[in-house]
Amino acid sequence: MFFELAKTLTDAYSRRFARAVRETYAADEAYASTPLGRAGLAFLLLALLAVPLLLPGYPVYVLTLVAIAAVGALGLNLLVGGAGQISLGQAAFLGVGAYAASHLAGPLAPLGILLGGAVAAAIGVVLGLPSLRIKGVYLAIATMAFQFLALWVFNNWEPVTGGIRGRNLPPAEVLGLELDRAERLWYLVLAFAVPLFFYGKRLLATRAGRAWFAVRDNDLSAQVAGVNLTLAKLSAFALSAFYAGIAGGLLANLYRSVTPEYFLFGISVQYLAMVIVGGAGTVLGAVLGAVFVMLIPELLNAVVGAFGPEYAAALAAWRNVAFGGLILLFLILEPLGLVGLWGRIRAYLRTWPLPY
Amino acid sequence: MEPLLSVEHVTLRFSGVLALADVSFQVPTGAFYAIIGPNGAGKTSLLNVLSGLYRPQQGHVRFDGRDLDGRSPQARTRLGLGRTFQNLEIFRGMTALENVKLGADLRFGYPALLPRARREQAARAWAEEVMDYLHLAPYRNVPAGRLPYGLQKRVEVARALAGRPKLLLLDEPMAGLALEEKQDLARYLLDARREWGVTLVWVEHDLRAVMELSDGVLVLSYGEVLYEGEPAGARENPRVVEAYLGAEA
Ligand SMILES: Nc1ncnc2c1ncn2[C@@H]1O[C@H](COP(=O)(O)OP(=O)(O)OP(=O)(O)O)[C@@H](O)[C@H]1O
Ligand SMILES: [Mg+2]
Repeated sequence: MFFELAKTLTDAYSRRFARAVRETYAADEAYASTPLGRAGLAFLLLALLAVPLLLPGYPVYVLTLVAIAAVGALGLNLLVGGAGQISLGQAAFLGVGAYAASHLAGPLAPLGILLGGAVAAAIGVVLGLPSLRIKGVYLAIATMAFQFLALWVFNNWEPVTGGIRGRNLPPAEVLGLELDRAERLWYLVLAFAVPLFFYGKRLLATRAGRAWFAVRDNDLSAQVAGVNLTLAKLSAFALSAFYAGIAGGLLANLYRSVTPEYFLFGISVQYLAMVIVGGAGTVLGAVLGAVFVMLIPELLNAVVGAFGPEYAAALAAWRNVAFGGLILLFLILEPLGLVGLWGRIRAYLRTWPLPY
Repeated sequence: MEPLLSVEHVTLRFSGVLALADVSFQVPTGAFYAIIGPNGAGKTSLLNVLSGLYRPQQGHVRFDGRDLDGRSPQARTRLGLGRTFQNLEIFRGMTALENVKLGADLRFGYPALLPRARREQAARAWAEEVMDYLHLAPYRNVPAGRLPYGLQKRVEVARALAGRPKLLLLDEPMAGLALEEKQDLARYLLDARREWGVTLVWVEHDLRAVMELSDGVLVLSYGEVLYEGEPAGARENPRVVEAYLGAEA
């Protein structure tokens, strides 16, 4: 009886509401459609631009690392949170991008970074091929195998990678200005990261996102709904690798050197942790995950610094275990990650003090 | 005029089980065609053959003047062959609106990696129109997996309709619904047929609903066609009566 009434009311309301809403789809579909949202966005961008002016060198360096990691994590999030394909090879794509960028450095650095993205994307398509046949754990193992294969290549293809010693880069240069410090490179990182974020957000909100989510939720009925499974999976792998390649290229220009140890398996696990801890399938999740995962070691380092350097080695050894545990914890307790947690806190605060 | 769908001598076997035995029938444009039969009769298998999920050992399927043999499920959907499933195959993690928009992408598609604001808005507007039709608008932003069962079924129908199929295959769309929900759904389907010219093929157990709504019926039992024709004739057919009584006994 009560339900009936509610239904009648919502039906009537919905018809009127739908009519009202229809006028505003355009706004609804755009980013930051409200004045408040636009102001917030403008403020955020300004704050990002001001970072090197407001903070001293080391924090800017750490934030640059975080921003680069966020790009790589966003890529992985498109694949894992979007298309539901697991990958333990993101560090390998970071490496591909970094080595490719190391061959076009200095004044050509922006081009080199793009090249890194492109080469990684091409290899990403190849890695995507097995996903057309296998799923879940088997796919995870295949991507892990790729990770180790890539490491072997980094270590042994001396003419291109410089082997174990790796390669050194001159500082990136834009319009004659040397980006030899994080405070300067920060702007190059933003120039790549900001558009990539808007693009990723747009993709998740439009046709590509729907196709990926459909594949993630149920790949058989996705096909029956008209989704081209091959295209959806391969595009997700390619984009994920592209983002990682760009991140790798930026990283190479930040470190000014590229060696295989930057791209170990543990780094791939860290990236997966960023996606899962942050919140799979959202852009914000990638950012939060990157901040969280990149800042934890900084905090731990500070703690260890207080205790003394003899704990450092032990800590490094346990770090991957800690990340693995963190992934499991979030998978079990909060599959929506920090984004989900934040959503729940917000919902709680909105209705507080009434529970419903 | 050529029928919209024509199934010719389809035989489907699963290691020993004969799921479909030389099945033939035709569905004219604009029909509301029913497929009935006891459990395990092969109804779902038949729909799976039509939508390309199963490959029959023998026989052909023609749709809208084309041979479907060998085409992928996705290709068939793009040709205008929509489908909903018996055990509910919506995309649970996507909102109701996203589900319906996914259907709308069949009409307003653009290269996925190059989003076009205009067409995205057109898809949105069309998806809202379909949702409005099926009274789904208040639930647009709810993850589909969290909706009650009846609404989930409706979201699936809306998703399929949003692709503007020429023919919509519905596998037991009314199973598990309350009487009122069944009546609503029947109305939505009839409206969709009138408004958008969708031809309907549905699998249904509720014989009364079939007799009331359908203009053609195929009766299957153990993969064989017992009867094909006007719904009224099915009741008098001794083989149909026997199959149904046998199933009930
Ligand atoms: N993938 C499969 N592998 C093996 N046997 C199958 C498969 N799909 C269906 N069958 C068999 O084919 C026969 C017909 O099954 P089907 O699901 O088509 O029946 P149905 O008419 O849809 O039944 P219900 O009314 O219960 O939905 C059954 O004997 C079933 O066991
Ligand atoms: Mg069935």
